[in-house]
Amino acid sequence: MLELVDELRQEMEAEEMTSEDDVERFRIKYLGQKRGRITKMFKKIRDVAPEDRPAFGQQLNALKQETEARLEQARERLAQDRPDETVSIDLTLPGRRPFRGSVHPLTQTMNDVVRIFERFGFAVAEGPEIEDDWHNFTALNFPPDHPARDMQDTLFIEASEGGEGGVLLRTHTSPVQIRVMQEQPPPVRVVVPGRVYRNEAISYKSFCLFHQVEVLYIDEDVTFADLKYLLHAFARSLFGDDVRLRFRPSFFPFTEPSAEVDIWWENPDHPDGGQWLEILGCGMVDPNVLTAVDIDPERYTGYAAGLGIERIAMLRYGIDDIRLFYENDVRFLDQF
Amino acid sequence: MYISNNWLTQYVDHDLDAETLAEALTMAGLEVEGLDVIGAALDGVVVGHVEAVREHPNADRLTLCDVDLGTGETVQIACGAPNVAAGQKVPVATVGTTLMLPSRDNPDEKTPVTIEKATLRGETSRGMICAEDELGLSDDHSGIMVLREDAEVGQPFADYLRALGTDPQDAVLDIAITPNRPDATSHLGVARDVAALYDLPLQRPEVDLPSEGGEAAEHVTVDIQAPEACPRYVALLVRGVEITESPAWLKQRLTAIGLRPRNVIVDITNFVMHECGQPLHAFDFDQIAGRKIVVDTAAGGETFTTLDDKEHTLPEDTLLIGDAERPVALAGIMGGQNSEVTDATTDVLIESAYFDPSTIRRAAKLLGIASDSSYRFERGVDRVGQVWAAARAAQLMVDLAGGTLVPGMVDAHPLPPEPVVLTLRPERVDALLGVHVPTDRITHILTKLGFEVTPDGDDQNGEAFRVTVPTWRPDVEREVDLIEEVARIYGYDQIPEPAHSRLPNRTPRELPVAQLRRSTRALLSGLGYRETYTNSMLPLDTAEAFNAPTLGGEAMHGPVVETLNPISQEMKALRPSLLPGLLEVVRFNQNHGQEVLRFYEFGHVFRRSDDGGVVPGYAEHEAFITVASGPVVETTWDQQGRPLDVFDLKGVVEQLLTALRIPDVTMTPSYDPTPVMTYHLQIASGETPVGVLARLADDVMDEYDLREPVFFAELDWSTLVGLAAPYLERRYAPVSRFPVVDRDIAVVVPRRQPIGPMMNLIREAGRPLLRHVGVFDLYQGEHIDADKKSVAFSLRFGADRTLTDQEVDERVAAILNRLRQETGATLRQ
Repeated sequence: MLELVDELRQEMEAEEMTSEDDVERFRIKYLGQKRGRITKMFKKIRDVAPEDRPAFGQQLNALKQETEARLEQARERLAQDRPDETVSIDLTLPGRRPFRGSVHPLTQTMNDVVRIFERFGFAVAEGPEIEDDWHNFTALNFPPDHPARDMQDTLFIEASEGGEGGVLLRTHTSPVQIRVMQEQPPPVRVVVPGRVYRNEAISYKSFCLFHQVEVLYIDEDVTFADLKYLLHAFARSLFGDDVRLRFRPSFFPFTEPSAEVDIWWENPDHPDGGQWLEILGCGMVDPNVLTAVDIDPERYTGYAAGLGIERIAMLRYGIDDIRLFYENDVRFLDQF
Repeated sequence: MYISNNWLTQYVDHDLDAETLAEALTMAGLEVEGLDVIGAALDGVVVGHVEAVREHPNADRLTLCDVDLGTGETVQIACGAPNVAAGQKVPVATVGTTLMLPSRDNPDEKTPVTIEKATLRGETSRGMICAEDELGLSDDHSGIMVLREDAEVGQPFADYLRALGTDPQDAVLDIAITPNRPDATSHLGVARDVAALYDLPLQRPEVDLPSEGGEAAEHVTVDIQAPEACPRYVALLVRGVEITESPAWLKQRLTAIGLRPRNVIVDITNFVMHECGQPLHAFDFDQIAGRKIVVDTAAGGETFTTLDDKEHTLPEDTLLIGDAERPVALAGIMGGQNSEVTDATTDVLIESAYFDPSTIRRAAKLLGIASDSSYRFERGVDRVGQVWAAARAAQLMVDLAGGTLVPGMVDAHPLPPEPVVLTLRPERVDALLGVHVPTDRITHILTKLGFEVTPDGDDQNGEAFRVTVPTWRPDVEREVDLIEEVARIYGYDQIPEPAHSRLPNRTPRELPVAQLRRSTRALLSGLGYRETYTNSMLPLDTAEAFNAPTLGGEAMHGPVVETLNPISQEMKALRPSLLPGLLEVVRFNQNHGQEVLRFYEFGHVFRRSDDGGVVPGYAEHEAFITVASGPVVETTWDQQGRPLDVFDLKGVVEQLLTALRIPDVTMTPSYDPTPVMTYHLQIASGETPVGVLARLADDVMDEYDLREPVFFAELDWSTLVGLAAPYLERRYAPVSRFPVVDRDIAVVVPRRQPIGPMMNLIREAGRPLLRHVGVFDLYQGEHIDADKKSVAFSLRFGADRTLTDQEVDERVAAILNRLRQETGATLRQ
């Protein structure tokens, strides 16, 4: 029987393996779990005379090890051969690129702004773009004959009669303040992003709609100093640690005292080396607003601030025409 | 509004440079938007005395003058002006002086020229005798400026001017006035803020106030028929005025703030308005029929010609000033041509009234007139400042126009105001501002601004104040308004930021809608789609054309929403769908050479609805759209790009709905064309419709000039978020550790047999072992009957144990059996 092992060895040694397929075929032919020839020969050990069995076993085991060694050698050799194959690949050909997508610059700026306020513990709230006169104006302390309530400034869907019954496209995100405060007792700490509308001629610096982010905090002992702290922290986060802000008194119906905040914008072409640019309006929530939503203005105070997203995006990206945001030119979108 | 710094110093004697002043006002709430320095300092220009004049020997048009400059020597100066004569006192620009000389062609274009010692046709000239335009005082170049005989030779010319009440140089501030500061629409008003900011005295001109009645009341009567609209009307009479030009100082005051001088009477009324903020009107008294002033509202429809020669048709309820017979002025807005002051006027009636702000605002808006007068009345003038202003104007008319004041006045004051008295608690100032403002600082600031501050006797702690609001501050109605006054003068920049800030003990959660938008943007952008922002407003016909119920859902079937006052007809309606906006984007980019056209957008869409929305009558919700057209992959060196088709977009939408974990999604095909869609899939989650996926109809493609087929999917994002929200919290399901078994089957079915239902049959029949079914081949042609097709499915089976061949074979047999029964499928041989 031992000669059978020798024959098998000769046959095995005669095999040539030049590809991965050859290697696999070799493995199955000799070492396959069911029909491999060496595997099958192990099963014949019962046919061998008992005295010859140790020798047969030894020989067969040796053959198996040799076969496995040959298999391993062949695999290694093939692996080493692979570099030759790569020479035929031109790695300087361009890659097959998937088409690029993008997130609109207004979304990016809006998200950046909202995220900063979220880090300061503000919850996001949203509201409808079609609003009623009461939420958009009356509750926010706009007197009945305030110019903003005029058709020249606001897009109406249903006219209002002396501040009653009007339906309009919201002119700011502030009505969401009112909706939140109607639903939730203080403390209220929300940031409200959204689209707003103005009856304005379209030009490079104004569009008939734009996006705002509004922040509102109502609690006990909220002060103007807290507002300065928050907005300065916000500006550092968005524009860098050396940002310079100034708060100057202004007027909004829904805040008192009110302020506009300017940022110092470096500009080497400007005679003063830069200029103050307005970036947001803010103030302490007017007591009439709190009263309108049944919050006691003696117990609670609060602040509110509103930022124009287009304006901030134009500043940070150096965009000088607001209409570009709504044209959606792929060559523009691709830059963000 | 323009404020002249020179004029301002008449009331508050500050020595701030213009930049500092502008900064200080801005930081106190009077935002200075522009700062212009006008005129020139005129250093080097002195008063000279022309001692002798003789002809230039070599030039006809030049005269040689010997001029004494007060330095002890006489210099020779060549002069080309026709009016130069010996004995005149004249302004002389000495050698070395730089003047801004106007160009001959364009007087507004000025270039700096330095006067040098020159030789003109053989004669030396050391200096220049100046005309007014060369000194920047006016545009007059008719001749040299001749000074008063008493001018002091050698005196700097600027000093000479100042002594006469004018100044060669001024700084003009352009101030943006917020609606709450009607008091700041005058030089005195701005001066009051400067006085408060720098603790300087405010100097209001002394005026003798006439008493009510007297002789004036015998000459004119005032009848107020509309006391709500006109609570006060003061009339003064000045007789025997001479209508001349105004003196130089007055003209300079007006020109500095951009007003054109007219005549001394009109100029005085303008001057007093810009001095104290009270608009005045001067009537030619001879034109006032019946010597009677009637204040009443218009019936509507009458015509009236204002003094700028424009005819207006009067809206109903326009407040009018009339005489016994006819209207003579639009109250608070503009006087009438029929009674204006002319060169022939001798007697002047000065009107100084308080008109109700909303009445004037409404009328001015309806008439389309915005005047300096209406600007101030709309905001609210000093409630009791009428007598002072009228008396001030009358006094100037006496001084400057040679008039005589008729003693007394008519003061019709049917509704005198109650004083406004407020309580101010100093601790409330601190609590709101977050800084301790000392009590004496509070009282000092308020006092400087004209508030009367006294201790509040009713306050138990004895710390509160009673504050009487000045009549020129109608905006101050509450304690918080007083706090703002304190804050703006104290300085917002003096309020320190706290080192720490408190947060309420609550943890905000990210809104599901925001979280899902964020992950959707990441997915779509990763798949090569670009986010857009399009206009929410559309032409009405476009909105209606796209108001098909594409999004499904009964609530969304209403008519489109229109605005009453659209910016243009292009923006008359609100979008009922995001599609038209996106088609514009596809068109724009196609026409700009882009081939890969894949976009998405989130945005609100609107319809009218009878169901209750947030605002009743309107259904508004957020929609999501994705639109795709063009190649699906890039053509490269070894692969040919192919145009995108419906299955590409369907795959994206399936991917998205899977990512959102929308349960039980079905896509039901409809092959019936609609005006917008060639064919479409109605997408639902269970019974809830969530949107549509479609090929854009050819007619719409043509309308938008689109070259490649367009596919879109528009989804009701608000509904999707509601469906997805419960799945935001993820639970881990154990991954099976047992091997799966893959089988492929190919069946032949009738050609019209849709594949989707077959896959559903396979899923049902394959239960519970079937894990996945896919379609890997679809074939019709050779070896297959003409009315048949072959479909090959890949099946994957698995369980939480090792499957036996037998049980997998059973499932495959069950699947084939089910397909045969339901679709007539036969196993392909």
